[in-house]
Amino acid sequence: IETEQTVLHCLHNQPNSNFLCTERQLIRLAAFRHFSLLRLELSPSSILSLHRYTSDTHISQIRFPAAQNNINTRFIILDKARSISSPPAASGQSCIALAADETAAVHIQLWGDECDAFEAGDIVNLTNGIFSYVRNGGLLLRAGKRGKMEKVGEFAVAFVETPNVSEIQWSPDPEYPKRYIQNGVVSAYSRIFPPLP
Amino acid sequence: MEKGNPFVASLHEVENQLELSLRQAFESLEPKLQPPFSLDIPDPQESLELSRAIVYALLCDSGSSKTHIKHLHAVVTDGYAFFTSLLVGIVVELYGKLVDSAKVQLLWLTKEMVDASSVGLEDLLVSLLRRIGSGDYGEQNVWLCSELVSLFLDKWDCLLEDAPLVLTSALYSFLRLLADHCRVTGIPKLENVKRLEIKFCVKMFREQLHLSLKIGRDLVRLLQDLVHISEFKEIWNDLVCSDVSKIYQLKTSSRYFLLRITPEMETQLRFLLGNVKLGSHKRHQIWFLKKFLLGPEKETVLIDIVRFICCVVHPTNEIIRSEIMPRWAVIGWFLDLCKQNHHVEGRVKLALFYDWLFFDERIDSIMNVEPAVLLMLWSIPQYPHITHSLLEFLLHLVDTYDIACRDMIMRGVASAFREIERKGVVQSLDMFLSNPEIATDLKKKLANLLSCHQDIN
Repeated sequence: IETEQTVLHCLHNQPNSNFLCTERQLIRLAAFRHFSLLRLELSPSSILSLHRYTSDTHISQIRFPAAQNNINTRFIILDKARSISSPPAASGQSCIALAADETAAVHIQLWGDECDAFEAGDIVNLTNGIFSYVRNGGLLLRAGKRGKMEKVGEFAVAFVETPNVSEIQWSPDPEYPKRYIQNGVVSAYSRIFPPLP
Repeated sequence: MEKGNPFVASLHEVENQLELSLRQAFESLEPKLQPPFSLDIPDPQESLELSRAIVYALLCDSGSSKTHIKHLHAVVTDGYAFFTSLLVGIVVELYGKLVDSAKVQLLWLTKEMVDASSVGLEDLLVSLLRRIGSGDYGEQNVWLCSELVSLFLDKWDCLLEDAPLVLTSALYSFLRLLADHCRVTGIPKLENVKRLEIKFCVKMFREQLHLSLKIGRDLVRLLQDLVHISEFKEIWNDLVCSDVSKIYQLKTSSRYFLLRITPEMETQLRFLLGNVKLGSHKRHQIWFLKKFLLGPEKETVLIDIVRFICCVVHPTNEIIRSEIMPRWAVIGWFLDLCKQNHHVEGRVKLALFYDWLFFDERIDSIMNVEPAVLLMLWSIPQYPHITHSLLEFLLHLVDTYDIACRDMIMRGVASAFREIERKGVVQSLDMFLSNPEIATDLKKKLANLLSCHQDIN
């Protein structure tokens, strides 16, 4: 019989237990009613992993086109740049940022007050997002009208900057006209936010 | 009667689970928080919900505080353990999100818990001590420092009886803070805080010396920055005249090194040293810098960060063998950050080498001395001046740190070097002794140190 104690025991006996506990262990902990008490013993960043146990997409799995609002994913913002369109969009400011997770990087678009709400180092959950071409911006991941971006933490994501799914060329699949396939890599890394020297 | 959310609302941020649970409990139980109170003893689940609701009510409503706390006293059955754990959770996860009035309430609640000798009191007080920022002379931080030092003075008798070790945690914290505070002038509220800090620390030494000495060897490291203060000069002389070598032999428990590191700093440093690959570390370093080290006074925390990394973060062999950012590289970066500030740089180096000075392979951990030697080793190819300056610092320390205990220190450093070679941290000490990049006189001094103290283990 699994009790709070046995799960906690397993958790604490992992090497570096704060970060290498499995998602399943975290789900089990969440099931206990006294979760709010137990989670005091978890580090903040292991709690972040909780947001992964719904079937979220990794950045590397994002496919073009995904113009239906159905991308649920989590990433960390690496760097932010100002307005992508000049003159700025009529409905408010927008900016482009570099984001990534453990599998890949991507360019994201922040819109309106999202621009100031998020900073480099923020970990963000995107629900019902879109991945599509934006004029003067290229392939961008964004919340769109029906999606939502929310900060869930800071710092604790070990990300990669390549491949960058926004720097990949897509063309229609000759066999299935409505599908697209990867046709080549434009750039291994972001051309807007190159890796730090 | 003020009512309002005790937590600052943030638009694009997911609500913290703890905050959510408190708010939901309050919303569902609010009518039950007014008298007449039910005389039924709540079942365990109801009891937890009630505690959550009362915490929320107490944080946001200072008008009915007396009522709520009486209610709590009436329904508690676990020695306030759960209630205190909620307060700890708030301090660790949500302190920055509390509005000012809620912080005032939190401190008041802490005093109530001290009076009630609650279970988990030590955790609560230590969490609050960790919230006092280093090199932060803004109003909020000075207020928190003032509140806490006053609390430790006012509740002295209670704490001495119920949780004496927490007084040693307070002593460590305030000695360390005082060293920084004494270098700052022109902030009236800080002057009062300094007076209280001195009062508390002196009281500890004069009335509870035996307890104070439980801190161990780092007590000396902290005290030596305060000898210019007249009250401490006497204490220092007394200590030195008695048997300071006994104090050097007592290794400081790693829990003290958490005291000057905030929970966020701890999380980020552990993540950096446990998950980030060398080569992918630059952005993490920038974020860490921006969050914790921006500002002229902030560099002082590097002293505590380096001590924390050496003594508390001990990576597994798996991590050491991987590409993950090694401790020596992070420390090298921190040393580079403070190289313009000689005061801080000297103390960072002392923090780095402190366990070398009294190293005894039977009780000291090789992991405490590993970062320094690897930094010296790996700097040789491209940054030999770093190796040189660190080795020079160490050898100078041996001669000058405590002349009366020079022999003991020489033996300590020699033991550290030998253990490093024995355990294979460095293949051979010849890497230093025969290296052309290192100045001859340093090599001679090192060889002399090693040969004079051939301990037979």
